[in-house]
Amino acid sequence: MIRRIAASVMILILTMGIVGCQKQDGNQSSGQELLEMDWESILEEAKGTTVTFYGYGGDEKTNNWIDTYVAKELKEKYDITLKRVGMNIDDILNNLLNEKNMNVAKGNMDIVWINGENFFTAKENDLLFGPFVDKLPNFKKYVDTASEEVQFDFGYPVEGYEAPFGKAQFVMIYDSSKVDKVPRDHKELLEFVKANPGKFTYPAPPDFTGSAFVRNIICDIVGYEQFMNMKADEEVVRKAIQPAIDYFISLKPYLWNEGKTYPAESGLLDNMFADGEVYMTMSYNPNEASGKINTGEYPATTRTFVFDKGTIGNTHFLAIPFNAPNKAAALVAINFILSPEAQASKYVPEVWGDLPVVDYDKLNDEERSLFDSVELGEATIPQNILLEHRIPEMPADLVPIIEKIWMENVPGESD
Amino acid sequence: MARKGIVFRIITYAAAFLLAVPLLVILVWSFANNWPWPLVFPKEFGLRGWEYFFSPTSNSISILLYSILLSLTVTLITLLVTIPASRALALYEFKGKKLVEILILAPLIVSPVAVAMGIHQLFIKLRLANTFFGVVLVHLIPCIPYSVRILKNIFESVGDKFQMQGKVLGASPIQNFIYVNLPIISPGILSAASLVFTVSFSQYFLTFLIGGGRIITYPMIMFPFVQSGDRMLASVYSIVFILASLICLRSMDRLLKKYYKRGDYFYL
Repeated sequence: MIRRIAASVMILILTMGIVGCQKQDGNQSSGQELLEMDWESILEEAKGTTVTFYGYGGDEKTNNWIDTYVAKELKEKYDITLKRVGMNIDDILNNLLNEKNMNVAKGNMDIVWINGENFFTAKENDLLFGPFVDKLPNFKKYVDTASEEVQFDFGYPVEGYEAPFGKAQFVMIYDSSKVDKVPRDHKELLEFVKANPGKFTYPAPPDFTGSAFVRNIICDIVGYEQFMNMKADEEVVRKAIQPAIDYFISLKPYLWNEGKTYPAESGLLDNMFADGEVYMTMSYNPNEASGKINTGEYPATTRTFVFDKGTIGNTHFLAIPFNAPNKAAALVAINFILSPEAQASKYVPEVWGDLPVVDYDKLNDEERSLFDSVELGEATIPQNILLEHRIPEMPADLVPIIEKIWMENVPGESD
Repeated sequence: MARKGIVFRIITYAAAFLLAVPLLVILVWSFANNWPWPLVFPKEFGLRGWEYFFSPTSNSISILLYSILLSLTVTLITLLVTIPASRALALYEFKGKKLVEILILAPLIVSPVAVAMGIHQLFIKLRLANTFFGVVLVHLIPCIPYSVRILKNIFESVGDKFQMQGKVLGASPIQNFIYVNLPIISPGILSAASLVFTVSFSQYFLTFLIGGGRIITYPMIMFPFVQSGDRMLASVYSIVFILASLICLRSMDRLLKKYYKRGDYFYL
């Protein structure tokens, strides 16, 4: 009996697998045709199809938001089935590069979650479809299309090849039961670290968050303006950031493990903070601390702060690969994600806590109330204060150079 | 004698302890919201991890079953391929035998990851990329050498004397294989199968690249949580991973033992 049940289960899974493997072979319009169609026909074409969403899958909240909220709404509103695949952006780009080399006209991915240097790589290698953002009604209706943060991604022109998804801003996280006075700039941070030796560190670049911290300190010391048009030349960059590198070296003796080693990933630093081993951590998501208080990972006394001169903010985007099999549904899905309902739903800290990309001034009263009613967690800094202390990301091509210079000069044994 | 027994016991218990403690720790972690030093036992517990695992939207269970099915397929094909191959390598002398052996064992030395990009391009050309069968094929690369290593040793120690005996008594080659060969090598098959299953079940990068996200296996949904440092979810997924492998290996063991109804093997 058991064997028979087991066999039937196996057969069921097998058929599911086969069905799941079958490619969608509808008559989808090619990219160019699609860009010439009107929105109604795009909706019509997307109806009843499946769209795939590829992106980072290591955050349970984000996964959940896409799998439940977005998937359900797309099904109800547009009869589109959304399938999320958690995949690191490096693997996604490798896959696309291989497919580009082999001229695969029909790939797997319809929507890719991307930004910064990865967008730079993807666009330079012609891996993306577009420009498509002008096709999206919600983009024109709700997004401040002229703003720097929508037109540029880490200083690199977007040119309509990706649509904004959400905004992030770097914040410092601390435990208010252990830290009395929050440092307001790099100097006060040094004093804090001297007063609490071994209780502070940061993730080593090229970790995303650690790299952002290093850039943030650089901006705090030498200002961000000069980097906006800087040539991606190692000598030029080195000269510009030398005061900051000196600062990192002066921090070293007072860091965790005397600055000889650094946590390799921000997740490790977060765990060290949760364990009380260090007094501060940092995040590119201003709502993360509130979220983690709710799940019980962080102590209830956790709070966040930004430097007086500001912290780096960036926008993350959604793009469509050149060989996306279902571009029509990708457009519809991205358009939905840009709607005030979707943006407000992911703004809720318990849901995800991602900052919205829609322009508050462009919303009507009803739509505004969606955002006004969101209760931010205790540890979250209100959005207007964040935006007052927001400085732009550096150009994408400077980032690896800064990471390299840090790596060569800072870690290891001190002389 | 008694002293020797005590020493032996201490070593056994120490080994068991060293194996069990990390498992206990992840079991506790799968229920712990946080567990800061110096607490010996966490204070706050939650079911966030297990709730996410069992929520239908995370799809974890169907992916797990799919993954098991894939690895069982890989195991089956590997055995079908390697039983005759290892027998030939163990019992026959032929020209270029050393070369064949080195080629078969090469994936143990050169990691398949090193050639994966090339394989991916080839598979795209052959339309094998993004298919179930393509992933099974690419899993065979790291699996075959292990199976051959084990089975070849078994065939070498068994020799072909029993088979000759069967032949003398008038068994056809098929009868000979089923009634003489298979029962003798069944423990070897079991260890090969267990190893192959484990290797295939824990493949991450190859599945990723060749499956292109269309074929999703269990490590692919587990790894992001390990990497992002979400200890609760990472523990939940690890526990299920360990349990699933154990259950599969145990059932293989049962199945084979039941089939041959014997437990004593003279050559192991």
